[in-house]
Amino acid sequence: MEISRDAYRAIEDIVGPDNVTDDPAFLDSYAFEWLAELVRPNRSHYMPRPWAVVMPASTREVQAVTKVCNKYKIKIKPISTGWYHWAAPMKDDEPTVQFDLRRMNRIIDIDEKNRFAIVEPYVICAQLQAEAMKLGLNCNIIGAGSSTSVVASACAYFGGGPSSHYMGNNSDNLLGQEWVTPAGKVVRTGSLSSGAGWFCSEGPGPSVRGVTRGNLGSRGGLGTYTKCAIKLADWPGPAEMEVKGRPPGYRLPIGENFRAYTIGAPNWEAWANCYYAIYDNGLGYIFHRQLNLAGANLATALWLTYIDPTKTLNDVETLAKDPEIIAINETARISFQLILAAQSIDGIQLQDKILDEILSQTGCYRVERYCEQDMAEFTNMYMQRLGHKHCNFIWAGGYMGSWMQAGTPDFVKGYVPTAIKGFEDDQQSHLLVECGGDALMGCGSTLGGGGYFGLEQFVSYDPASDASIDACIKHMEDAIADCVAQGIPLGKEQLYLQIGWTDQRIWDGMAKAPQTFVLDFQRQFKDAVDPNYLGDRNYPWLPEKWGEAPAPAQAK
Amino acid sequence: MTIQDYRADALRCTRCAYCKWVPLDLMKSWRFSKGCPSIEYGKFHSYSAGGRLITSLSLMDGRSTVTDKVRDSVFMCNMCGSCDVACKMCRYDMEPLLAMHELRAKLVEDGDLPEAYQPMLESLRTDYNTMGEPHERRGDWAKDLGVKDLTKTTAKYVFHAGCRYSFDGEQSEVARTAVAILKKAGLDFGIMGAAESCCGGKAFSIGVDQQLHKSADHNLAAWKKAGVDTVITACADCYYAFKRLYTQHAGSTIKVVHMVELLDQMVADGSLKMTNPVPMKVTYHDPCHLGRQGEDYVPWDGVEKKIFGQAVVYDPPRPRYNGAFGVYDAPRNVLKAIPGVELVEMERIKEGAWCCGAGGGAREGYPKFSEWTAGERIEEAESTGADALVTACPWCERNFIDAVRGAKGKLEVLDILQLVDMAL
Amino acid sequence: METKRRQLAAIVGEDNVLDDPKTLEEFSSDESLCEPLRPWFVVKPANESEVQALVKWANATATPLVPVSSGAPHFYGDTVPTATEAVIVDLSCMKAIKRIDRRNRIAVIEPGVTYSELAPALAKEGLRIPRPLAPRANKSVVASLLERQPTTIPRLNFSLPEPLRNCGVVWGSGELAFTGEAGNGPLNLEAQWQRGLAQVDGKGPLATDLMRLVTGAQGSMGIVVWASIKLELIPAVRSSFFVPNAELSGLVDFIYKLTKVRLGDETLLLNRAKLAGLVEPQPAAARKLREALPEWVALVGLAGTALLPEERLKVQEKEFRALVQEFRLTLCGGFAGVSRADVVRLIDGDAGDHPPTLAAKGASQDIFFLTTLDKASGLIETVRSVAARFDYPWPDVGIYIQPQHQGVAHHVEFNFPYDPDDAKEVARARDIYLEASAELVDQGAYFSRPYGYWSELVYQRDASSTEILRTVKQIVDPANIMNPGKLCF
Repeated sequence: MEISRDAYRAIEDIVGPDNVTDDPAFLDSYAFEWLAELVRPNRSHYMPRPWAVVMPASTREVQAVTKVCNKYKIKIKPISTGWYHWAAPMKDDEPTVQFDLRRMNRIIDIDEKNRFAIVEPYVICAQLQAEAMKLGLNCNIIGAGSSTSVVASACAYFGGGPSSHYMGNNSDNLLGQEWVTPAGKVVRTGSLSSGAGWFCSEGPGPSVRGVTRGNLGSRGGLGTYTKCAIKLADWPGPAEMEVKGRPPGYRLPIGENFRAYTIGAPNWEAWANCYYAIYDNGLGYIFHRQLNLAGANLATALWLTYIDPTKTLNDVETLAKDPEIIAINETARISFQLILAAQSIDGIQLQDKILDEILSQTGCYRVERYCEQDMAEFTNMYMQRLGHKHCNFIWAGGYMGSWMQAGTPDFVKGYVPTAIKGFEDDQQSHLLVECGGDALMGCGSTLGGGGYFGLEQFVSYDPASDASIDACIKHMEDAIADCVAQGIPLGKEQLYLQIGWTDQRIWDGMAKAPQTFVLDFQRQFKDAVDPNYLGDRNYPWLPEKWGEAPAPAQAK
Repeated sequence: MTIQDYRADALRCTRCAYCKWVPLDLMKSWRFSKGCPSIEYGKFHSYSAGGRLITSLSLMDGRSTVTDKVRDSVFMCNMCGSCDVACKMCRYDMEPLLAMHELRAKLVEDGDLPEAYQPMLESLRTDYNTMGEPHERRGDWAKDLGVKDLTKTTAKYVFHAGCRYSFDGEQSEVARTAVAILKKAGLDFGIMGAAESCCGGKAFSIGVDQQLHKSADHNLAAWKKAGVDTVITACADCYYAFKRLYTQHAGSTIKVVHMVELLDQMVADGSLKMTNPVPMKVTYHDPCHLGRQGEDYVPWDGVEKKIFGQAVVYDPPRPRYNGAFGVYDAPRNVLKAIPGVELVEMERIKEGAWCCGAGGGAREGYPKFSEWTAGERIEEAESTGADALVTACPWCERNFIDAVRGAKGKLEVLDILQLVDMAL
Repeated sequence: METKRRQLAAIVGEDNVLDDPKTLEEFSSDESLCEPLRPWFVVKPANESEVQALVKWANATATPLVPVSSGAPHFYGDTVPTATEAVIVDLSCMKAIKRIDRRNRIAVIEPGVTYSELAPALAKEGLRIPRPLAPRANKSVVASLLERQPTTIPRLNFSLPEPLRNCGVVWGSGELAFTGEAGNGPLNLEAQWQRGLAQVDGKGPLATDLMRLVTGAQGSMGIVVWASIKLELIPAVRSSFFVPNAELSGLVDFIYKLTKVRLGDETLLLNRAKLAGLVEPQPAAARKLREALPEWVALVGLAGTALLPEERLKVQEKEFRALVQEFRLTLCGGFAGVSRADVVRLIDGDAGDHPPTLAAKGASQDIFFLTTLDKASGLIETVRSVAARFDYPWPDVGIYIQPQHQGVAHHVEFNFPYDPDDAKEVARARDIYLEASAELVDQGAYFSRPYGYWSELVYQRDASSTEILRTVKQIVDPANIMNPGKLCF
């Protein structure tokens, strides 16, 4: 669709010519996104190309550009750090202005006493954590790692991570937020709306954040979040991380009031019991099944290779055949990482005793090799900063997370065998990385206080190989089929795949949801705050009476 | 290699943006958290390593063409390698820096090199230096030093001054100090004088690979003729060119030593005794070509293969350049050995160092960007409370000196040899 | 009217439709100074389907509904009709404790379940629920949570609505839909349980947090027919401490530190009048007692739960004493007339049928808001100056400060006792309430639960979120039958 150049000029007038572009190569750098090849025609690595990319520097500029987009009916798609295929425009025939918010990059304030920070969208977790630690504070870093935007995880996406068990989900850590609606209105939520500061996300009365921040967030589909305040947790460690070692396997020495363990379980029943015991006992500063992302068959070989800077992935092949490594690997097959922290030596010693008791009661154990100094310090580094999260892609550059249905430990335990069997079967093609059927990774709890999480199957494929891409797509379809067959809710693969589906297909599926109230709600809410439908379906809705016979000829 | 050889790298890029930051584990503050000067200045994703991989792909696939903006995004970069280190934090199958080089080479081949580089290239063609100076004056800095002229005689060692120390009058003193130290070390060395040619590294860094080959051919032949088996330099750019590029592209087997390595060795074996106190608080800037790109070259001629079905490895194993083994300790050991000197570190050091801004041809092609990059580093150095910013590369020093002067700052910029000289 | 009566009786049964003058009178006003208005009926549904039928009926007949779950006395005007011809939906008969899931520590209860009813049921499983300070015996757990009444253990408060997780809601439109995790599954709790779902995650469903739209709503969005609540283990051993100080400011940093490191379970601040009123029901004795108490007291409970409880308590006590010393404060186990046992009663028990705030003079004008602790002293000064302006005896004012959301937000509450039969005292209480509220808002006090006059104060200042809330209301209650006239609709 042709759009008047007046629109471009109007945007240029707002942000200045240096901060907007429609150069095709530049636009491609925003269209190219991870996972695109799994959903786009001909396995293209590109999502639809934006019509222009704009870099506003302030809420005022975001608002002004949004108004221009309303005038010219151009879709809007804000990104902070910009990752995932859904960060790009969705449809080829919908001109979209991509808002790259990287100029809005300030930590506006850290309120040390009241333990919250006010940040703009391009502040990443690692930056905030580094600044917070100077004040004895810490921030929950989401599972995708510390290169992610704080605002994105708090306002617009999921918000759970390895530290959520202790520090809370960023949904709950979200305090005041500033939101530019797709219609271009600025809305402030919680205490901020009353001019009372940033400290509270709820109210006045019902919480406006209830329409902006659900389970997943609107992922750029409902306007732009331009600032938010985020609750911080205490950090009983040094003001600056004293990192040592050579890349890539940096190590973080374990302070006397910290512990860094990998805990193994003899079977999944014991594993679940251990999770419940940790939940009941309130243990854990960071609690996550992390290192298994490499696959339970290869994890030990990979990480012992990784922490040796002289080695390459070729060494994993040799190491994986070493009987000693195989033996270690078996002890770590069903394992997870647990970082303990205390305010005092007495406190950490007590936590150790409690953990001993839990392990004794559940038949679980500390995995010795992983608890030796080199691996323990590496684990500590990995989990505290989450600066190695893109080891997700370490095998071949492609990773797709299937499963990840969240629930209680017993619920998760229930689907683990199916997830493992399905992945094992799909590896027989040799077109996915053969790391064993269990590459399940996930938080100890995505909710503050514990008790709720999911495990995500780390499916590694080669995005430079069409056959491998196809095998990954097949795995996603197989996982959906397994879920349907066993009555398990669909997992992340469905979320990923439907980015490539037509509206009709998505709505047909939605209409069969057990409850459609929220989909109808979101449609009506969208009608009100996004009358020109400039936001995309990352904020999903169900057209009125969709699925009821006769199907409407056209829906908005 | 060509950009086609890095097509898989581009397809395997996940747009994770690690390339924009210092390695996340090393991040110590908001202010100094960025690793890539180019993206910080250019802002759009195309100014990052990941963005350039996508640009390569887009050009290869005919989705876009080289515009002025694209040209800027490709060349307004220091090629400092910060992105490369950060990317490889989690990846063994990516070579962003090499891919970026091939993208430059492709643009050069297609006639898309920015005009701003022409004076430097012309100077290289006519006078074998990057400075626009007559090559006859190249050895003037050493006129009165009584150093062997290796065009006329032989020696085991050659001291290669490089373009900057040869022609930048303000900086030549460093080369003279180097000579004094080499004499003190009792080494059998000489210089090439007017016959010395630019290392070719700078031309290579902008994608004019042929110039590197010409320079390498000239220098290697001259050294061979003079019986040299080791080249010593005080310039990090030259060091990188000799150690990595000459070996890779010209089959060089000559040993390469940077002055800081020699000094470190002399401190360790007691042959260099620094007794004059130098009461100064200093901070050290790791030059990219001595630090994270200063690792030994390991010859490799292999192919990609897959293990465990789809895991990407190389046969034989591909050497891994990720800054793990750069020259970091030697300069620090030397500084610590100088009485009175207090070394205070900046936040971004070693493999995580922020570039001086002079690399990758930025000083010549994009001076404002280059100056801004240096200014960022100056601010970081000043934040340590240091009296002086010390480094081991004339390009870094020149960029820093200009930035300090431009900002009317007080920070002193010194080569490590100047400090050593004060202590002798 | 008779037609309506018959229709209501058809839904809930003849016996559960009340319109006798005494009952209607009871629901016509409450302990607040809101304008009284008589409802036409009080109905007592027994279950979800009756509630849904009532809401559909209300839509069909354009009848305002006012949901009420707790027994009287009510305090803030939210249960008093603002619109004429209203029907009170009294949910106090919906008392099912539908499920106590020990392993996942989740209870699912109906809105009529009170704290005093839930506690013994949970105790059988070794569980407890974080609770507000001394709730009255007939206080509905669900109502308390929906109104975001503060609970006393800030470390467990990962969000303000905690421990509320999921709700089943009959929305104003008459539709039944679940919030949070439960909103993704079948519209039937038993079916969800069979699938291993336990209504744990409060977020969602999808991009909306429906629970957040019914909390703080004063029944204006719909009627909650069940709620899931996160539970805690009952401690095996406990101890409690008073940390007295003449000035609130002397306790501020100490409380910040406690909540930061999450040391302690119950953590709250009381002024002498509040503490005396809580432990001593007799007004004269309470007045005497307060004279003997320090101006401010931080009350901190420590607990040993789960494994190694004694050792846990020991370590906590050691760390706690060290902190008391670090902040140059003193510790005491009690005062003359206030013992540790009183503290346990306050924390674990309920206030019976007679809320302590009413004990002194028969009525109390309460003012409460959220703020950060560093601003509390200044806001207290504001209230003090308003009280002085009206010659209100400041020593009579009870003040309660409750850290919430792990100490990021703080509930600050003032109780101004007055004689409801003395017109002058009533007028004074009203004047103080109006003036203090206005000044507090100006100074940044956050009326997150805007009852009565406060709703005017906050929504007038906030056009954009008012517009959003009205949009939400229009969607979920298009006929505006749910408690109309409250908040901004």
